[in-house]
Amino acid sequence: MIHRLFLLLAVASPLSAQDGEQLYTLYCSACHGADGKGATGGAFPPLAKSPWLKGDGQRAIKVVLNGLEGPIQVLGKDYNLAMPPQGALLPDDQLAAILTYVRSAWGNNESAITPNLVKSVRAASTDRTKPWTPEEILMEHPLPLEVTALKNITSSVFSGSWTELPDFSTLKPDSVEEEQFGIISAEQSPKEVHFAIVWEGQFIANAPPASTKKAGAPYTFALDADDSARVFIDGELLVEVTGIGPMGSKRAKTEEIWLTQGSYPIRIEYLQVNGKKGISLGWKSGRKNQNKTWNWLSEIKGDSGPIWPSIPIKPTAEHTAMYRNFIAGTTPRAIGFGFPGGVNLAYSADRLTTELIWTGPFMDGGHHWYQRGQGNEPPAGKNVIKLSNSPALPAGAQFKGYKLDDAGNPSFSAMIGDSLLTDAWLPAPNGLTRKFSLSGQGSDPVDILITDLLHPQPAGTNLYDLANNLLLQLEGVNLQTKNSKSFISLTPGQSATLTYTWKK
Amino acid sequence: MRLLTLFLTLNLAHAATHSDYYNREEIPLPKGEVMEISSIALMPEKQIAVATRRGDVWICSGAYDDDLSKVSWKKLTAGLHEPLGMFYKDGWLFLSQRPEFSRIKDSSGNGIADTFETINADWGINGDYHEYAFGSTPDKNGDVWIALCLTGSASARSDWRGWCVRITPDGKMIPTCSGIRSPGGIGFNAQGDAFYTDNQGLWNGSSSLKWLKPGSFQGNPTGNKYHKLADLPAPPQPADPSRILAERLKDPRFIPPAVIFPHGKVGQSPTGIACDQSGGKFGPWEKQLYVGEQTHSQVQRVCLEMVNGIYQGAVFHFLEGFEAGLIPIRFDDEAGIIFAGGSNRGWGSRGKKPFTFERVRWTGKTPFEILTMTANHDGFTLNFTEPVDPTSAGNPASYSMEAWTYILQHTYGSPEVDQATPKITSATISPDNKSVQLKIEGLVRGHVHHLESIGVRSAKGEPLLHQDAYYTLNEIPN
Repeated sequence: MIHRLFLLLAVASPLSAQDGEQLYTLYCSACHGADGKGATGGAFPPLAKSPWLKGDGQRAIKVVLNGLEGPIQVLGKDYNLAMPPQGALLPDDQLAAILTYVRSAWGNNESAITPNLVKSVRAASTDRTKPWTPEEILMEHPLPLEVTALKNITSSVFSGSWTELPDFSTLKPDSVEEEQFGIISAEQSPKEVHFAIVWEGQFIANAPPASTKKAGAPYTFALDADDSARVFIDGELLVEVTGIGPMGSKRAKTEEIWLTQGSYPIRIEYLQVNGKKGISLGWKSGRKNQNKTWNWLSEIKGDSGPIWPSIPIKPTAEHTAMYRNFIAGTTPRAIGFGFPGGVNLAYSADRLTTELIWTGPFMDGGHHWYQRGQGNEPPAGKNVIKLSNSPALPAGAQFKGYKLDDAGNPSFSAMIGDSLLTDAWLPAPNGLTRKFSLSGQGSDPVDILITDLLHPQPAGTNLYDLANNLLLQLEGVNLQTKNSKSFISLTPGQSATLTYTWKK
Repeated sequence: MRLLTLFLTLNLAHAATHSDYYNREEIPLPKGEVMEISSIALMPEKQIAVATRRGDVWICSGAYDDDLSKVSWKKLTAGLHEPLGMFYKDGWLFLSQRPEFSRIKDSSGNGIADTFETINADWGINGDYHEYAFGSTPDKNGDVWIALCLTGSASARSDWRGWCVRITPDGKMIPTCSGIRSPGGIGFNAQGDAFYTDNQGLWNGSSSLKWLKPGSFQGNPTGNKYHKLADLPAPPQPADPSRILAERLKDPRFIPPAVIFPHGKVGQSPTGIACDQSGGKFGPWEKQLYVGEQTHSQVQRVCLEMVNGIYQGAVFHFLEGFEAGLIPIRFDDEAGIIFAGGSNRGWGSRGKKPFTFERVRWTGKTPFEILTMTANHDGFTLNFTEPVDPTSAGNPASYSMEAWTYILQHTYGSPEVDQATPKITSATISPDNKSVQLKIEGLVRGHVHHLESIGVRSAKGEPLLHQDAYYTLNEIPN
């Protein structure tokens, strides 16, 4: 537990260009790791064996000079970070030394970068003022193709107006081609509609045995297609996408298979009926639920899900969960509460009202708690109802915070002139109860926006059908509608209770 | 070169036997919890509150005890919005969250926070991850200073981004300084003046410690437009490219960095600021500042002085080897302990753990160091922590100096430019042998002056533990 503190030693010599490794250690290793594998167990992109460093050195020079910001994939893993530009800091010789070191270390085996090349790339990029986006840099310097696990692949293209995958044994192909890069694509047919492709070859299974007791290891395949596709391994149907429709729907399938190391015959059948075309096929070593890197065998990469892990935020049986962060569908000053029993709300401290209510899971923290956490996260549950989309209280009203009762149920406060409005929420059977109380001097009524998006339909005494099977019951106050906005009006000293109930 | 190698080798051997001036210890964290510490608050009865980037607040007991294995934790609340600045006052924890300055407490006494009051939320946020808000402890008037990071690196898309604001005890926001880029921490010196750290980037050639003089402009014009929201005069718009000195001479509101931390040489990302007012409980560094460092997982030491109305001074390497990138540091003046926390999520660090909470205690032994470095009209005065060997310390050849500055420009960072080599012509020892006056030809106003004191020995024959000092000479005394 106790560490002796080693105090810093003086570094007496200024670093010269020859010290590529030292310069790398100083400026780069905090993120990319002294071993080039990406610091903190790979939270940052690796440089060791990275295709981004392969071939033409200009790609890497440009990224170091001007930075790179946005989602990238390196060795099958997704990152969404920002590499700061180093061009102003690093002179040509130092930048060349760093890249020469990086391109030859940790198993990399690329040529040296000369200061002259850096100089000419720098001169050609003086008008660039912003970091590169991944699209921009890869447009200029595409990554070299990686070898996939598909070998000796041929594609056979067929024409015909089928609505489901045909029996290919009776059909004659229009053409048969070799696909030497081991990548499948619907573009391998010149047609846009009414065609089919069959790819045949070998799938090379390389994963070591899962344990000493087992000969094989699990593989998971992911298949998606616009429109239908199926994959056979060793003559057996493994995974199938049926019907007609776009990619990215629930028709996409994943299946597991155990394979021992070796080469397996693989056959992929694909049908394009009409509309858009496309197929994606990927595999990872491991079970479906294991967080492993996907390897894509297709030109289109499938939707392998968000790059961040799932970290559900849940209430306990006794206490609500709170989540203040950027919640999609409401404003940046959002305050989420998840109640035991699966009802939830997001209050906007900008608009001084609850803008979202929903049922099911509350929120997932994985998005904001991974890397830099850029972006808004939608509620985790389904059935999200947006109640309003504009300030709920008169201009000048100020958010004062909230109190929680012993179960963590919130009561939000806002000052409106000299009056204090509290807006307290409790879970109710199949819904939420909301109690407003206005305290303070004076007798001027205060209008409180209830909804400007839904159109309440009377369904009983002070009972309204709001939408999507959601009922609103009012007690102690009437719902008023003007200019398609629904309000209640309270005078100081007055309270009102609103109950939102999802019909079963 | 051979001589240099020899000195380095000696120094290495020496340091290995004198590495026991400060003890750094990891404070055990609650098991299974992700504790990316973003704020530390000292509380009564030797309790410490920490907030995390995920928005949890925990109360730690036992962090002052010799035996840290008995440390215990209680979770006060969860789900706050990335608090970067927290302090305790009158039963409340005050927090600078991304969207607001607020205070929270457990009113019912059941150990769980139940009262969350918003004190001020008059600045803008739009959902961009970069729009951080770093808050201070209260100043002598009770005001809290909050430095508002730009939107991303290059824009200010929400109100008051790129400004420092003060929040008064009655909840009013006073826009106070413009020109901020990307703060990493905020605090006060012994005189009560506010400082923040700003990170290398656009309009920022190197990271530095900056003085938040009210009404000042800190050098980055990206958020200048917001002066219109409060009818303030327009901040300066520097020429591009230029130099800080040239631009501040055009407009005295442009306050130069008090101490530049040369990029790469003294960290890459300075963060929390703490002032030692312990009266010697952490060594002889009374009234100096300790500054956290995220990328290099260090704490630097800064001594300041005011010359011609401008703060300036020197930064020295001090502590290193922390387990993650440091963000907040707090110094307990009563106990003489630095508490440091941090995370390297999103920004890498030399410390390899994803998050950490640590304390540093002084063993009572003082290393041989330059205690202070102050400017004279014709050179610098060095005060040492113990008497020097007059022969080596009185020899100008025991020292060397180089000086440089940075380009002030809209692009990211800057090389070191306008290099100069000031010449040390004499080194005069004080009668008590504890200070040396260096006469130097060729001081350059506005430049960082890097002094290496490789040849200096203490009266006991030891070399300096840290031979490098980086003094930012904004003003040359008359």
